[in-house]
Amino acid sequence: MADEFVKGLGILTGAGLMWMVLAGWYRTPSFGSTEQLVAPLTVDTANATLLNLVAITLMDVFFWLALLGPLTFWVLIPAGRQARKAVEERRS
Amino acid sequence: MTDDTTTGDREAPEKTPVADGSGIVAPDDETPTWRERKQRHVGLARLTYEYFERARREDQDLRTESDYVERDVLAFPTWPHETVRNLSIATFFVGMIIFLSATLPPHIGDPANPSSTPAIILPDWYLYWSFGLLKLNPLNPELAVLGGQKIMADRTYGVLANVVVVSIIAVVPFLNKGAARRPVEQPFWAAVGVFGVVFAFTISLLSVKNIIPMNVDLLFDLTFLAPVVTGMITYAVLKTMREGYMYDLNRRYYRLRPPK
Repeated sequence: MADEFVKGLGILTGAGLMWMVLAGWYRTPSFGSTEQLVAPLTVDTANATLLNLVAITLMDVFFWLALLGPLTFWVLIPAGRQARKAVEERRS
Repeated sequence: MTDDTTTGDREAPEKTPVADGSGIVAPDDETPTWRERKQRHVGLARLTYEYFERARREDQDLRTESDYVERDVLAFPTWPHETVRNLSIATFFVGMIIFLSATLPPHIGDPANPSSTPAIILPDWYLYWSFGLLKLNPLNPELAVLGGQKIMADRTYGVLANVVVVSIIAVVPFLNKGAARRPVEQPFWAAVGVFGVVFAFTISLLSVKNIIPMNVDLLFDLTFLAPVVTGMITYAVLKTMREGYMYDLNRRYYRLRPPK
């Protein structure tokens, strides 16, 4: 149980940190604005370099990892175990 | 209870005193019943002594059997345990600072112009709550007896609001001395604490309403509604958790305190 918690927490903080850095690069027009980390892309994807394209892709990957990772380890896996236990108890 | 043990008990004071309880403590399968204990005509003191001696003997046996190494130290030594632990923690935070300063260099603005007042004036973030209390203009009552006039200026009202809030915070420790070890024990005061924390946060948001992307009136209402709502939710949840903990049954256990 504690294991699953720290896995989810590690994914949340690690992926969240990487997403924050990349969003600070590509989705933050100014650190004085009211729209930081969530603004539209500041780089035109049509003629962006390969490195920028990879970073922009990774930004979305990290974002969804930070959301789905904890969801998996905190909700889905424990729920699955509970469901399996319930099914086994009903069978026996 | 066999006769041998009984004889041994009676003879114990005459022999040299043995502290390991071997002559006193009956084997597990021969533990005397209460009737047998009473038949021995020994006092309560003797009975208590046997009880504690038996407990001590069991503890001694457990210690002899286990491979636990007993040390007469109260903490870990500074070197290497504490030092390595502290070094790893310090390394982590220094690494985070270097990482963030390398990847997210802060925007350095133009040097401040002392001859012009900036459009947005804000204190440091930990004083936002006090700054927010200065923006309670809609709460300043307009009294009909004064012909719709306000009894005091908005800025005076804001300063008085600070006095009121600080006074309430100062009074709380006298109303509740903080005897509870866990929120379940005193749901009401836990709810008061949650109310305070959430209110400190929302009043801080109100102080920076200029740069909050939100309807200002809604933000003002939420500033005072959100703490009350979260406080009520806290109270309800903790009251419900009490039943799960069987609080009334385990009251003595939850009141347990470590010795002073």
